[in-house]
Amino acid sequence: MQTAAKVNRSRVLVTGVGVFSPIGSGKEAFYSALAAGKSGAAEVTQFSTENLGRSIACEVKDFRASDHLSGAELRRMGRCSAMALAAARMALTEAGLHENRWQDRSRVAVILGTTMGEADVLEKLDQALVRSGPQALQRSHLTRVGSTLLPIHIARAIGAEGPTMTLPAACAAGNYAIGLAYDLIRTGKADVVIAGASELIQQLQFSGFVRLAAMAPSKCQPFDKNRQGILIGEGSAVFVLESEGHAAKRGAAFQAEVGGFGLTCDAYHITRPHPDASGSVAAMRRAIAEAGVQAGDIDFVNAHGTGTKANDTAETAVMHEVFGGRRVPISSMKSMFGHCMGAASALEAAACLFTIESGIYPPTIHYETPDSECDVAVVANVAQRGPHRIVANNSLAFGGYNAVTIFAQPGVLVPPSERPHAFFSARASGSEAPR
Amino acid sequence: MKLVITGYGIVSNLGIGAEAFETALQNAATHPPARPASAAADAPLIKEIPDFDPTPWLGDKGLRSLDRLTKQLVLAARLALQDAGLKRDGVYVGVEAEAIGFCSSNAYGSLEAINELDRVAVLEDARYINPSKFPNTVSNTAAGYASIWEDVRALNMSISDGNCGGLDTFVLAQQFFETDRASVLAVGGGEALSESIALAFGRLGALVRSCVLGEGASFAVVERASHARLRGATPIAEILGAATTFGATSSDSLLVPSERALTAAIHSACAQGGISLAEVDVVLGSMSGLTAFDRAENRVHSALFGNAVRVHAPKELFGESFGAAGALAVATALAWFKGKAPSFGDGATASQPMPRTILLTSLGYYGNAAALVLRRPSNET
Repeated sequence: MQTAAKVNRSRVLVTGVGVFSPIGSGKEAFYSALAAGKSGAAEVTQFSTENLGRSIACEVKDFRASDHLSGAELRRMGRCSAMALAAARMALTEAGLHENRWQDRSRVAVILGTTMGEADVLEKLDQALVRSGPQALQRSHLTRVGSTLLPIHIARAIGAEGPTMTLPAACAAGNYAIGLAYDLIRTGKADVVIAGASELIQQLQFSGFVRLAAMAPSKCQPFDKNRQGILIGEGSAVFVLESEGHAAKRGAAFQAEVGGFGLTCDAYHITRPHPDASGSVAAMRRAIAEAGVQAGDIDFVNAHGTGTKANDTAETAVMHEVFGGRRVPISSMKSMFGHCMGAASALEAAACLFTIESGIYPPTIHYETPDSECDVAVVANVAQRGPHRIVANNSLAFGGYNAVTIFAQPGVLVPPSERPHAFFSARASGSEAPR
Repeated sequence: MKLVITGYGIVSNLGIGAEAFETALQNAATHPPARPASAAADAPLIKEIPDFDPTPWLGDKGLRSLDRLTKQLVLAARLALQDAGLKRDGVYVGVEAEAIGFCSSNAYGSLEAINELDRVAVLEDARYINPSKFPNTVSNTAAGYASIWEDVRALNMSISDGNCGGLDTFVLAQQFFETDRASVLAVGGGEALSESIALAFGRLGALVRSCVLGEGASFAVVERASHARLRGATPIAEILGAATTFGATSSDSLLVPSERALTAAIHSACAQGGISLAEVDVVLGSMSGLTAFDRAENRVHSALFGNAVRVHAPKELFGESFGAAGALAVATALAWFKGKAPSFGDGATASQPMPRTILLTSLGYYGNAAALVLRRPSNET
């Protein structure tokens, strides 16, 4: 049997964040936009939407890879990796860390989430193949295909030599990456983890969601009675997570603690969440339990909130099941920056940090008509202020993937060694365990 | 915490299911030969699963919209859970769905599905793409379907780390048992051959000419030794250690073998198990026919083991199957622990004594590397 001290060896602290988003890039611009309830929706500029029946998405308009990457780096990667690397550099700068200057580079890991990775590279190759045959395939592009490469590019650039992995966990990928990073640090496997997610908009994905009738015409309205679906988005959010010992040794300031991670699978439907949300409920409960707190301690929930009928009712079920009669404020960032797929829950984690720091709950914009099937305390249209000691970041994904992360103000949670650590093993041995 | 493997499922060019696979594994003369992927002059050689048809195991209901990768992964998962005695007649025995999870590796997702929809978008119009095929373009869809078909609810962790992913999943499994996220994990991965991969390799030409492409899927069922004992399961192997590493480089090239990363991964995996390099009996490496990478990996093995340890290349049997490669190599090791010595064509392995400790290695194409150490259980495990 593991002991608490062995599993929970360290607090996991956030010491840096880098963001590229449709509502603003860089922490300050992103935070200001969240507080203001800014919309990132506009006509798509990266490809033609003619005949598709939808034309609005949330693009990152201010990202220019050459501002952040060297010529050699630009040649090696597509836009998705470039955005991730730029965000990683931003996060390192904020954390006061420097590329290639690690005390022990084998204890620096890079974990990135995505849904489709370098989809633009693959799309160009496919188009060349269909139009002109195999001879048109550029050799230099062939080696750049694959979501494997996202963390590889970052690890190369910064000199990290610990675990380097991509977690293609669809719309929950950001939370997966942050959660795995938290596990690696608290069990003593890594001192620093560069964790986050990146995604870009491309035509196949845009068309696919239109054909699935999942795309709203012009605005995303989570929890609203008249919601019509998602707006596609893109972006990247990358964090520096550190063990308490590593951060303290170098005198680093930290913004929040990652306190818990819940991970379950619905095993129900490839695109829809389970209507009773049992998997999502279990993920939320596990994350809260790991943090050593109760559901009553959660001040705010940053929703998955896609604006689809199925997601928002399932998420409502989670709120009712986990929090009972307590109406915990909840808000969907996707109303502002769209559904950024693999990057969604990473960007939403950055929004959680904003709430932890400022006490501001960013609004769900375009919330017009309450829905009795979504009877939750939506932060409607205008940001609100409230308690901000502990917040939860909820995510659900294609394939029935559920992931929840908990963020807390520094010093709020009990020491790691006092938090629950036995769950399944305790059940097997017949002792009490939270679920 | 001791972790053991209590069963495995495999879908490969050598056979589907442990029994067929193990029978074929022992006799190189029965192994289907590689063939050109197409009639094109630059077509690479491939080792595909001949006449792959999962219906004898999965039935024909619900298979129509699944792509090749998904069918392979679903089938491997089903066979693994059955082989470990966790499922009988489709029902879990002695364990709940909420306590079982997947850790699966895949490098390229369903290129078949993406290519098909891109083709429609280019030749016709994007508005005509088939919505029922669209979910197949998402990287984790195959793993998602596997969880639905097999009712796996504890967690579903997908990973992409090129040809190291199959061994990386064991690193993740260790992590998730340590943090108590499941009672049982099916650990492995899959990769399907597609026209896109064959065309890409054909186009890369001399760079990859000596590499045979492959496909397949495999899962090993991993649980705590105490959990296996409680349910009366017999371990096939004990996991001594698993590690994944990266070797940062200033090279301009994206494709870089890192001997340093592989050496570190091997040392780390052995150290976790508390064993010295001298205790390794056999190495199953990741040599695939790519000269620069094979030489680098061989240099690492020579430096660490000299001539004391025999090094084999499972990709000689399966071809290069990227995200599935490590999982297929693990299946090979498990068969060997069961007394079914693989025949690599040189005739030497059959006469070798059954190994007690097998080191599996993956040298990635981008500076990544992974290692896993498995041990045949002693009586007291």
